[in-house]
Amino acid sequence: MRDGNAAMAMVNVAVRRRMRGFDLDIAFSAGTEMVVLFGPSGAGKSMTLKTIAGIARADAGRIAIGDRVLYDSAADIDVPVRQRSVGYVPQGFALFPHLSVAQNIAFGLNGASADRRRDAVRELVAATGLVGLEERRPRQLSGGQQQRVALARALAAQPAILLLDEPFSALDTALHADLRELISALQAERGIPVLIVTHDLSDAFSLGDRVIVIEAGRVMQQGAREDIFYRPATRRVAELVGTRNILPMAVRGIGDGQVTLDWAGRDIEAGIYPSHDAPPVSVGQAVEASIRPTQIMIRRQGDTYEGRRNVFLATIVREIMGAEVYRLFARIDGSQARDDLEIELPTYTYFRLGLDRFKEIELSIRPEAVHIMHGDRA
Amino acid sequence: MDTSDLLITLQVAGLATLLSLVVGLPIAWVLARYRFRGRAVVEALVTLPLVLPPTVVGYYLLRTLGRGSAFGRFLEDDLHVQLVFTWQGAAIAAAVLSAPLLIRTAQAGFEEVDPELERVAATLGRSRLGVFFAVTLPLAIRGVGAGVALAFARAAGEFGATVMVAGNIPGETRTLPVSVYDAVQAGDIGRANATALVLIAISITCLLLFSFATRLVRR
Repeated sequence: MRDGNAAMAMVNVAVRRRMRGFDLDIAFSAGTEMVVLFGPSGAGKSMTLKTIAGIARADAGRIAIGDRVLYDSAADIDVPVRQRSVGYVPQGFALFPHLSVAQNIAFGLNGASADRRRDAVRELVAATGLVGLEERRPRQLSGGQQQRVALARALAAQPAILLLDEPFSALDTALHADLRELISALQAERGIPVLIVTHDLSDAFSLGDRVIVIEAGRVMQQGAREDIFYRPATRRVAELVGTRNILPMAVRGIGDGQVTLDWAGRDIEAGIYPSHDAPPVSVGQAVEASIRPTQIMIRRQGDTYEGRRNVFLATIVREIMGAEVYRLFARIDGSQARDDLEIELPTYTYFRLGLDRFKEIELSIRPEAVHIMHGDRA
Repeated sequence: MDTSDLLITLQVAGLATLLSLVVGLPIAWVLARYRFRGRAVVEALVTLPLVLPPTVVGYYLLRTLGRGSAFGRFLEDDLHVQLVFTWQGAAIAAAVLSAPLLIRTAQAGFEEVDPELERVAATLGRSRLGVFFAVTLPLAIRGVGAGVALAFARAAGEFGATVMVAGNIPGETRTLPVSVYDAVQAGDIGRANATALVLIAISITCLLLFSFATRLVRR
């Protein structure tokens, strides 16, 4: 379900729209999977979702779900909102405050028989874990329960696609994991594409089979989750997906599936991905490479073993404590690098290695974790 | 007090409120939901009857609905509808003067409804009218209910325009406010007092309904 789906894409979206500050010009396709539209606030993600739902107008473009064309400016097609068959969950959920949970869920089943409505509500109430809350009003529910009602309501009429706008932004972090799981389960069970707009990195990573990175109305990169997070195409995407080590290097040698780089006076090896259509590099070329802070192995000096690749002696020069992870900044011995290398590791590991006392460390970095970016072209 | 005056007043105010609702609700909804060129002009026109002397409104209605105008002749000759000097004519006059109250109050009610709810309702397969009756109206019911109460009170108390259009025919077009004036003119202080008290009772009832409507808790 990962990358080969472009050929049998379920979702084909290309929309243009004039907006304040910039022009939205988004094109992407995806299969029957979880698709995350990721980017900073105000990038045009929500607007893209609204043009698919039909509650905002595109100026031009084409939107198709499967073989149903919802919008095509060239063919003068613009299916009205109520006939689009999209399940839309806006930010803040927009539950109908004057209706009960059951009435909210049944809202999209207006034309159905009373029996069918009751069966559908019973099934969805069970699937979303709302049993016993059927007669409550939305204001009597917690945020997480409201989100579940919104999901059930959107799914009741069996939509061809589910659109979720910042589904977690109104919820406590503790609830995210449960709801992510619920959304994944519903996606798998229903077999429909799910488009999720989020600016949250960890939600994007844990939900998106496919990730579309959007900034200022443009698609910066789209691809399988791992490609986006570990192999960002450009410096900007690397920054957006939270890669904090973006390092200037120079190509020293090219081997079999491997490139040797000069990193401020030290050699480091980088893996080359066959799946990644990066342009070939040449010896002497200046490049930027990224290393995610969690992709670095750390040991105390003295535990060194010889003969491994990409092993560096270093000194911890700065530390930022977090609740679950420590962020360390290390200076590589014998390197003239301007920036220190950022490393993230679990609190437990930090203390287990005795790093509260010892600051002399040894790093090892898998060549696959050193990713050469092919420049700032989208 | 003459019972026929009370019945005519309730008839006139009832029909006037109904007319205000049918014409006023769509206007209130459009004013609450859309920003368009000429919106300020529409708002001013809608509010105008509130500030014009009722006799002026009544005068123009009389000119429009009576045989003096092409429209009036069309009504009488082709549709055989007589409005001048009938209680239905009085109701139209009262409706013109009470509709602004209903429109402005209902508009405030509609503006309180989150448009996002209407958009979501549309994605769930409802037509515009379906969305209005299933979502917008129930959520704006406080504003609309308050508007209805105010409009009814205003229509029941209307004097100037009513008397212009419908005259003062006992048992046919004479409403309670006209009857008060009539009684005072005739020196019948007993009838004036009794009629005025009934009018005060109607007004107070409407205001109680109004405050009940504005306090109505969303179920």
